[in-house]
Amino acid sequence: MNRRTLLMTGAAAALLPGAALAHGPTRQKLTTSVEVAAEPADVWAVIGDFQDMSWHPAVVSQTGEGGNEIDATRVLYLSDQGDAGPKIAEVLYKYDASKMTYSYRITDVAVEVLPVTNYSSHLTVTARDGGGSVVEWRGAFYRGYPNNDPPPELSDEAALEAVGGVYKAGLDALVERFGAPAS
Amino acid sequence: MRPRPDAPAGLALALAMAAAALPAAADTGFVTCQNGDALSVLDLVTGEERARWSVPGKPAGVAVVPDGDVFVVSPGSKQVRRYSTAGEVLAETRLDGGPIGVAVDPARGRIFVSDWYNARLWVLSSETLETLATLPADAAPAGLAVSPDGAWLAAAERDADAVRIYHTETLTVARVVGVGTRPFGLGFAPDGRLFVGNVGSNDVTVLDAPLGEVLATLPVGDRPYGVGFAAGRAFVTNQYASTVTVFDLGDLSALATIDVGEYPEGIAATGDGHVAVANWFDNSLSLIDARTLEVTATYETCDGPRAFGAFILPGNPPGVLP
Repeated sequence: MNRRTLLMTGAAAALLPGAALAHGPTRQKLTTSVEVAAEPADVWAVIGDFQDMSWHPAVVSQTGEGGNEIDATRVLYLSDQGDAGPKIAEVLYKYDASKMTYSYRITDVAVEVLPVTNYSSHLTVTARDGGGSVVEWRGAFYRGYPNNDPPPELSDEAALEAVGGVYKAGLDALVERFGAPAS
Repeated sequence: MRPRPDAPAGLALALAMAAAALPAAADTGFVTCQNGDALSVLDLVTGEERARWSVPGKPAGVAVVPDGDVFVVSPGSKQVRRYSTAGEVLAETRLDGGPIGVAVDPARGRIFVSDWYNARLWVLSSETLETLATLPADAAPAGLAVSPDGAWLAAAERDADAVRIYHTETLTVARVVGVGTRPFGLGFAPDGRLFVGNVGSNDVTVLDAPLGEVLATLPVGDRPYGVGFAAGRAFVTNQYASTVTVFDLGDLSALATIDVGEYPEGIAATGDGHVAVANWFDNSLSLIDARTLEVTATYETCDGPRAFGAFILPGNPPGVLP
């Protein structure tokens, strides 16, 4: 993110005391999925632990509390700077190992890191017809700019593009790890 | 509603008799689809999508009145439009701000639109959509509703954790009442009590609006959004929980939690004892039997249905049948 953007978001944030203020008028949604060769249980064993997101290439390290219980928390660190660098704080609000799905929300992220607010998401593994698995990652969120008339880097389109990039990077890594289904 | 020349009495009688002779017409849902820039016109008995209108500007707020006007607010383009039930644009305006919610005062020919970004409401002519007045509000007004007797307008002020009650006749502020955290959607029960969904505190505040008194606070699921009423019960959509919480309107006891689609939002009653729920993520509408509390049908909609407001046109509007 360039310096101009950082300054601009800083100025916008200064006008808006508190984090719970208005959001954009249009919630965005995105569903991305990939097919992999491994069986669902094997894929879930890698991605089904809320406290271990090391399967995603953007996550360098993480801390968390509460395991996979509802209201468990985690902080994902996206650089080797740890807490001093870019990070995303999240909370678990649904977890069902038998259905191989969990749902979480972002509780805190700087818009320079991910230009969204009010973000919620599900990660689900299902069996693929003909063998292997389908991994689906879907999210709902508002743009990073809570006020009217957003700058382009905090627009609805920018939010969709950024979340899409996160999903693609993670799901592509799973294809690389497990391989694509043969047919 | 908007002024109209009186139809000849004989014609009105003939129309009424014709309507009475026919089987009850199905209610129609006018479902705003924000992500799809569209509106689905749904037959709520068969689920048939009779039409899909192109509605530019990310439509969210909607209010349908029995004479057939459909008011739609597009916050993306800041436009308010009045449509006929056939989808013809009858009037259109652009408002400088963040229009989102809409409610109608048919008796006075006015509609109200909340300005999410500028702590005020617009009062528009329901005929021309010209601005007649602006009313003061607190931070981030969202959901709007007019009381069944037409005397009161309620506005949920999301970022002030309050509800503001206005006299519809004089357009003056009658009450400001503190509610739960981040109220967004609200609705008047048929008995006149006001139910307010508090997104941040996961509860519903029940109010005596004219007196400005909180009567009860009812816990619901995660992120309550809309409130509907049927068969002596209140129905609350819970966005994050993908459920609807049901209360008895008599003693306010919780009766059930019903699974619906993902991200349930707008909710409204049909004339035949159902409530219809727009599932924003799933692009569907769940129909719940208000007595058995079972989902009886799920209909497809356009992309991102919000149906934020009174989105159902009764099949037999008041005054048509004897």
